[in-house]
Amino acid sequence: MTDTAHRTGLGRRTFLQTAAATGLAAATMPLGSRIWAQSGKVLRVSSYADIDALDPGFYQNGYNVDVMNCIYSKLVRYKPGREWDWELEAAEEIEQVDDTHIRFKLKEGLMFTGGYGEMTAEDVKFSFERVLEHDSPVKSDWGPLDHVEITGKYEGVIVLSEAFQPLWTITLPYGTGHIVSKKAVMEATENGGNFGMEPPAYSGPYVLQEWKPNQYVHLVRNPDWKGETPGFDEIRILPMDDTKTAERAYEAGDLDYTEITLSSLADYRGNEPENTVIEEYPSLYYVWLGMNLDNPALQDENLRKAIQHAINAEQIIDAAYFGEAAPSTGLIAPGLPGHRENPSVPVAGDLDKAREYLEAAGGPPSEPLTIDALNATVWKTMAEVIQAQLSQIGIQTQINVQDSGSFWTLGMESEGERWKDMQLVLNRFSMLPDPYYATSWFVSDQVGIWNWERFSNEEFDELHKLALSETDTETRAEMYRKMQDLMEATGAYKFITHEGTPVMYREGLEPALRPDGRPLFIDFEGEV
Amino acid sequence: MLFYTAQRLVLSVVIVMVAVSILTLMLHVVPGDPAVMILGPRATPELIERTREAMGLDRPLPVQVAMFFANILRGDLGQDVFTGRAVSQIVLEQLPYTMILISVAILWSAACGIALGAYSALRRNTWLDTLSGVVSVGTISIPAFVMALYSVLIFAVWLGWLPAIGAGDGFWDGITHLILPAFAIGVAWVGYVSRIVRASMLEVMTQPHVRMARAFGLPERRITRSHILKIAVLPAVTLIGTGVAHLFSAAVFVEVIFARPGIGALLVGAVNERNYPIVLGAVLITTGIIVLATLISDLVVALLDPRQREEF
Repeated sequence: MTDTAHRTGLGRRTFLQTAAATGLAAATMPLGSRIWAQSGKVLRVSSYADIDALDPGFYQNGYNVDVMNCIYSKLVRYKPGREWDWELEAAEEIEQVDDTHIRFKLKEGLMFTGGYGEMTAEDVKFSFERVLEHDSPVKSDWGPLDHVEITGKYEGVIVLSEAFQPLWTITLPYGTGHIVSKKAVMEATENGGNFGMEPPAYSGPYVLQEWKPNQYVHLVRNPDWKGETPGFDEIRILPMDDTKTAERAYEAGDLDYTEITLSSLADYRGNEPENTVIEEYPSLYYVWLGMNLDNPALQDENLRKAIQHAINAEQIIDAAYFGEAAPSTGLIAPGLPGHRENPSVPVAGDLDKAREYLEAAGGPPSEPLTIDALNATVWKTMAEVIQAQLSQIGIQTQINVQDSGSFWTLGMESEGERWKDMQLVLNRFSMLPDPYYATSWFVSDQVGIWNWERFSNEEFDELHKLALSETDTETRAEMYRKMQDLMEATGAYKFITHEGTPVMYREGLEPALRPDGRPLFIDFEGEV
Repeated sequence: MLFYTAQRLVLSVVIVMVAVSILTLMLHVVPGDPAVMILGPRATPELIERTREAMGLDRPLPVQVAMFFANILRGDLGQDVFTGRAVSQIVLEQLPYTMILISVAILWSAACGIALGAYSALRRNTWLDTLSGVVSVGTISIPAFVMALYSVLIFAVWLGWLPAIGAGDGFWDGITHLILPAFAIGVAWVGYVSRIVRASMLEVMTQPHVRMARAFGLPERRITRSHILKIAVLPAVTLIGTGVAHLFSAAVFVEVIFARPGIGALLVGAVNERNYPIVLGAVLITTGIIVLATLISDLVVALLDPRQREEF
């Protein structure tokens, strides 16, 4: 035995040397990347959270919609690019007949998987009406939908009870606009309700091959898809709560595309990873410092205005975002109707004016004011800068940081008495591309729910209602500008920034992004 | 030994029940509403209230705790409030990743720590002993998340030898994805274990039975292995048993940094989202594992050293 081993070169020493060399070779290969790459043309991207809802009638959050965009079809979809626009997807034709009627005709031959047949107007009716019938938490997306009238196998009319402008900017091209198979959903749920994480049939260019919670979402081409062939055979979406982790994963070669943080953008400038393109997109999010109008310490309008004028948004952005975001002038970002070019309170503040207001208020409060903020670095930094800025005019503050679960119920009356003690709060809301989505949180009905400043103004409420059905774009934009003026005039709001959406990707990849930098994976093309 | 084991088992069950009850109380003291988190900002107050009722959150706290334990007895840990999936299924999907991570970290750190500690004790006051001491204390003082961050930067980003994120697909891919996280959380334990083993060995080496063995002319290697090391590793076994809890804590950070599935990553997300069923289910399982690990280490010590079970 020993002799044989020697003759064939398999002695102990040789074996160990060979094993060591093999191990070293294996260790020096980024194996994970190679295994994925071998299975076809694979796009590997990060997402800021793992999916938790795949029923478009009952979805929450944009990361679910990113996947829905790939596995279901909609009548229309957002067009990739720098300007907000939509294009036809499942619809062959669609037109607004009058303020309350939208006629559509589906493309023929769009098939649902699993033998559920061709997509028809009946499926469109079912998909849209079930959102209202089952009291979905996102039924407000469908606003005044009355019903969908079927006029032919592929044709129908969406009937609204009153005009609803966000229909074209949010409802149809986004989450609740996705079309599901009536037959498949009825079989899966019996009453047509929420099917959760198990889509009974797909109608998009991809199907969900596998979802490994907290690991990845694996999409592969839909064999029944008759539309334009998507650019990649497979898409792997890896959930990463921490964008910095995604950046390291990209640098290590585990991702082809990822969003990056604004703080890293500064580092990457002129020092980007190899074969990488970095692009910046504006964001629609809005960040502001709010003041609780019902808190006894903030009753004096002059004190609130002193705070407004003492805050310099540019300094905050320099410290918290490394100067990589632009200051905001209101709730509504540039590019959307209602964006204000100039706020009534200068973005950089005005210390002299702040001191005048403070004097009119009879001086600073006797007790320090509280600033509530989320417990992430960027929010703590912002709060600290604001603390320093307010101390310049003699207003002392104390910063309270809280985890997200606690923070997001801070101003809710249903959560006890905490809203009464809340004074200054650093807030950030997400946004969709219609101004109504921003102002809807500040109407009187939202006081004690999401309107934490407890701002209540009849004119604002009326304008919000009228603007929903206003068809003239400029008139509508003027309404939203007026609404932001009304908010600012209370002294309870200091708008800070809309942040930004920087992304990085491999050279050769042609990503398709919305104007706010959100990815539209089905339109990604190129080589990775 | 049987009586000792039974006593420890009963105590373990009590510890798990107390831990879960305390956690349930804490969850309800901390602000945050799972119904709001599930339904999102656009849900109506009526829908939020109905969801609270459906989740049983409108019931008195003692009733909720009692219901949780009653459901456990039926093998039902509840449902994830977002996806509607069974908590037991979710926890059992994630648990193996953390268990493998912790087990590998314990194994390699114990093997290296014991070897390093024994080597230092046997070559006491040499420069190698000094070097080993410096390395041990150095690794102890570096938090696992710092080690994780730098190991990703060095081995994944700069050198490109190992993957930076995930758990991999298949056996070999899984191994390559395991190396850095296991290294990050285990490295401090090399220091702990080596210091304990060194100190313990130095103490045992001076005991009469070792002198007696030498007087009988037994080979030094056999004395070290059978008469010194066997006793000297006992404190290290206890340390490793109780250290499982620390490793679970370290795994939380490491799983987030490596975007790796596991109980730690699951818990972080669930706590932030006030996903009570997941938090309770995950804590129940992890507490059970920690108590079990402590129990096993106690039993191993009792097995190796009969004096321990007599003292109990």
